[in-house]
Order: sequence, then C-alpha cells, then structure tokens
Amino acid sequence: MGGNYLAEKDIVIIAYGEIKNELRSGKTAPELASEVMVQLLGKTGLTNCDIDGLAINLPGAEVGNSFYSNILADNLGLQPRWLQLTEIGGCAVLGNIARAAAALKCGMCDIVLCLNSDASSRRHPTTVLNYRTEFQEPAGYHGPLVAFGLMTDAYDQKYSLKQEALGHLAITQRNGALVNENAVENLRKPLTMENYLNSRMMSDPIRLLDCVMRCDGANGVLVTTIDRAKALGAQKMVRLAAYSEITNYDPTTALPEPFESGFQVVGPEALRKAGITVGHIDMFHPYDDFLIAILFQLEQIGFCKRGEGSDFLLNTDLSPKGKLPINTGGGQISAGQPGLAGGGVNTVEAVRQLFGEAGSRQVPNAKNALVTGIGVVPYFRNWGSSVAMVLEN
Amino acid sequence: MAIPERKPRPIPTPTRTTTPFWEAAKEGRFLLQYDPAAGKYQFWPRPLSVYSGRPQLEWRQSSGRGKLATRTNVRVALRGFEDIVPFVLAAVDMEEGVRVVGRLIGISYEEAKPGMKLKVCWEQLPGDARFFAFERDA
Repeated sequence: MGGNYLAEKDIVIIAYGEIKNELRSGKTAPELASEVMVQLLGKTGLTNCDIDGLAINLPGAEVGNSFYSNILADNLGLQPRWLQLTEIGGCAVLGNIARAAAALKCGMCDIVLCLNSDASSRRHPTTVLNYRTEFQEPAGYHGPLVAFGLMTDAYDQKYSLKQEALGHLAITQRNGALVNENAVENLRKPLTMENYLNSRMMSDPIRLLDCVMRCDGANGVLVTTIDRAKALGAQKMVRLAAYSEITNYDPTTALPEPFESGFQVVGPEALRKAGITVGHIDMFHPYDDFLIAILFQLEQIGFCKRGEGSDFLLNTDLSPKGKLPINTGGGQISAGQPGLAGGGVNTVEAVRQLFGEAGSRQVPNAKNALVTGIGVVPYFRNWGSSVAMVLEN
Repeated sequence: MAIPERKPRPIPTPTRTTTPFWEAAKEGRFLLQYDPAAGKYQFWPRPLSVYSGRPQLEWRQSSGRGKLATRTNVRVALRGFEDIVPFVLAAVDMEEGVRVVGRLIGISYEEAKPGMKLKVCWEQLPGDARFFAFERDA
C-alpha cells in the first residue's frame, strides 16, 4: 500500500456542518441529516440540485432498512450519480470522505455530500448477528464496554496503566466540551480528577467517565475537487493529504494482545504518505469511544513508545494552546456520541479548527490535523476497522 | 407500579457451521475447529480456516483446559443478566492455542488472577441449550 492517491492534494473539504448533540431529540435520522444539509447549502450557496454525490453512514436507528440510502436521498431531494453507504462503525465518516475522494478523482461525480446522522434514542438495535449472538452474548460478553474491560486489563497487566493519565485526558476533553455549544448539554459541566477517579466502575477497570454517552446528532462535510472549489469561489478549504484504512487486522494470530490494533499499520502509513512524522502534527483528533482507545492510538501511531502512553498523557499539554491539542471540542467522550455518526464529532472539529473557526478553543496556527476512526469491536481482537486521515489547510 | 418485563438471557442459535459444536456441548464436550493444513486450531467456528482460507476443517475435542489471560468484573445489568451481575468474565488461553471468553463460576473478581488454571464447565440455559463457562482446574 505504498501509493498515495491523495498525493496531489487536489481533493478538498469546502464546508462542514454539525447540529447540537442531544439525548432525546425526538427526530429521525433523515430529519437530523436534513438539518446538516441545510447548513452546508447555506454556507456554500449550493442547492440540492448541485449535489451529485452522496456518501452516508448506516444509522443504528435505520438498521433493517434495506433501502436506506435511496430513501434518504428521496427525503433530501437529491439525485446522486454516485451513492455510497458505509457501515464500518466509527470509521464510516472518514471512510466516506476517502471514498468520495476516490469517486471524485475517477470523475464519477463533482460535489459529494458526506452526511452522517443517527437517532439513537429512537432505536438502537442491540442485536448483531453471527458470532456475537451465538458465542459472545450468552456468556455476558456483551458490547464494547465489557470488551474494553478485558482489553484494558490486558494492557494494565503488561504496562501498568496510570488511572490519573486517563483522568487528565477526561478533564482536558471536558474543558473542550464546556466551550463547545454542540456538545450534549448534560456533559457541559466541569470535571475534576476526583470526579474521574470516583466515577462508578462499569466493567473493571472501565469507569463511567471512561465511556461515551450515546445521543442523537448529525454532521457532515462537502467534498469536491480543488478546481471545482475555486470555480465555486470557496473562501476556505481543507485539503486531504493522506488516508489509510484497514479492517479485520491480523486475523491469523490466535492469541493477540487485545489492545494491539490496525493503528500500528494505518497510523505510520498515513503519516508516511503525507510526508510527515508525528512531530509535525499540529493537532490530533482521535476517535474516542473509550478514553483508553486514545492511549492505545498514541502508542501505536508512534507519538510515544509502547507502555509509555500513561506518562505521555500526564506530561503533555493536550489543550488547544498545548504541545499536542487533542479532541479540542470534547471528543465523543465529552460532546456525546451521535450513534454511528460518531466519527463526525472529531472529524468536523478538525475541519472547524483548520478553517480557523473554533473560537475560544482555536488551536493557534494549526496547519494540519491527524484524524482517526475506530469501527467495531471483534471477538477479543482490536479493532474491526482502523482508519487515519491527514488534513491540511 | 408495573414491573418491566425482562428479556431472557440470550441463547445461541446454531448455524450449519456451528451445529456440531452445540450438539457436542449437550454432551459436555468442547469442540474446536482444526485446520490440518496450517496445523492450528481456531475459535469461534467459521465456514473456513482463517489460516489457510481452506474449508477443510476438522472438529477436534479440546482438553477444556486453559489459563486466565484477562478478566473484567461486569457490573452493569446487560440484557438477560440483570439477576447475575456483578459477574466475572475472563479471556482464557486454551491449551490448543485459542482464546475463549467465558464467565467464571465460583471465582470472585479478587480471586481471578492472570495465569490461574481454568477448565470448561457448562451452564444450563433455557430449553436444552448449554453454554460454556469456566471453573477452577485443581
């Protein structure tokens, strides 16, 4: 996977949209998505008739709807000539931007709406068939929470996890949510180390404050070619510099370390394709379903060595003005996880930062961002899908 | 006040691939798929070997013995486990070189130490289904 199809940096994001994450919005996934589309059209002056590409996530609330992408297009008055439904969990958002870039470079469409939404409060199907229902759930090995309990125990046995390191991360991200109007309102309260350490154990050693809170929400971006962006008179644009994706990492290792993931492949690979190293990254917007997932990514992408994640977190200023700003809007942990649109929380925040529109949490002189996605937790391996994208302005 | 109806503990639904596993489970035997080309076992049962991509797999009986790799104390009431929480779930490295996750029976979270010897035992589920769990192996 040596080549970089984004090397010319001629595919750009010209607008981002996001609505406020809410616990019980009372809206459907298409309704939530429509609000983001309205934002994007408003920002660019485009109409629904100008959009000829549509890439969407499969909302949990729409699982079982075999024709969802068509039905959504119909709801939105869109007539896409290129249509993509992606269901790689939290990787769907970045995965769709990457797929849109490929479609644009192939000339299959000119302007792609990458649109993500989920109405988790309406319906969140808990049944994933195949080995999960047959070999996991009857054992009580049920969902990401328990899997992350087992995974974190494995890491702790090998490297001794420092709880305060995750506490530091929790507080940093919470500070981002305090100044992020799109964060779930319930989470916009200051957090102390004591709050973190005293939060309820869910599946030892995972605490309540290690986990995301699922909510309703939507987000999206418009992706096009740089030539088209200029012709449209786009005032701001973010370039796609590199992307790497892997699914079902390392299937032939029977006894893997459960915290080792595809990030050790896609992290260094995306940076190499972009021609940079970790030292050049101005800010990191990692997917965060659990806080520990950020620590795993830091180590495996190469920000620090294996086992040094705790010390790295404790010794690094992760705030917007710090050495390595992380998830400046609160991440999903503190802004909420809008179901299977969750990958858009960190992605949109990275674009917002690169547009210079992050207000009081703006990262000074941010020229690039590393954004990641995590999708699916398989049977005692990590993760189903891992993706990394480098964005530049 | 109405008591919300509880969903039952999930029970496995065998497929064409997994039926031999569950039939053997009824007799207390824990089967693993073995790929003779690769000389390796795999768990959970799949339609082909993850090592060679070949469908020529054999069913072999596991010793049922292994060692605790990692564990977690599940405290949240998962569907069908409301009356069981907290319970200890462990990943067990079996003698055959595969990892199996199951509930620990008769072992507290404090007692569940990495490396401790465990063996497969069986829990009776509703109907005639049995599901694997682990207990101490003296």
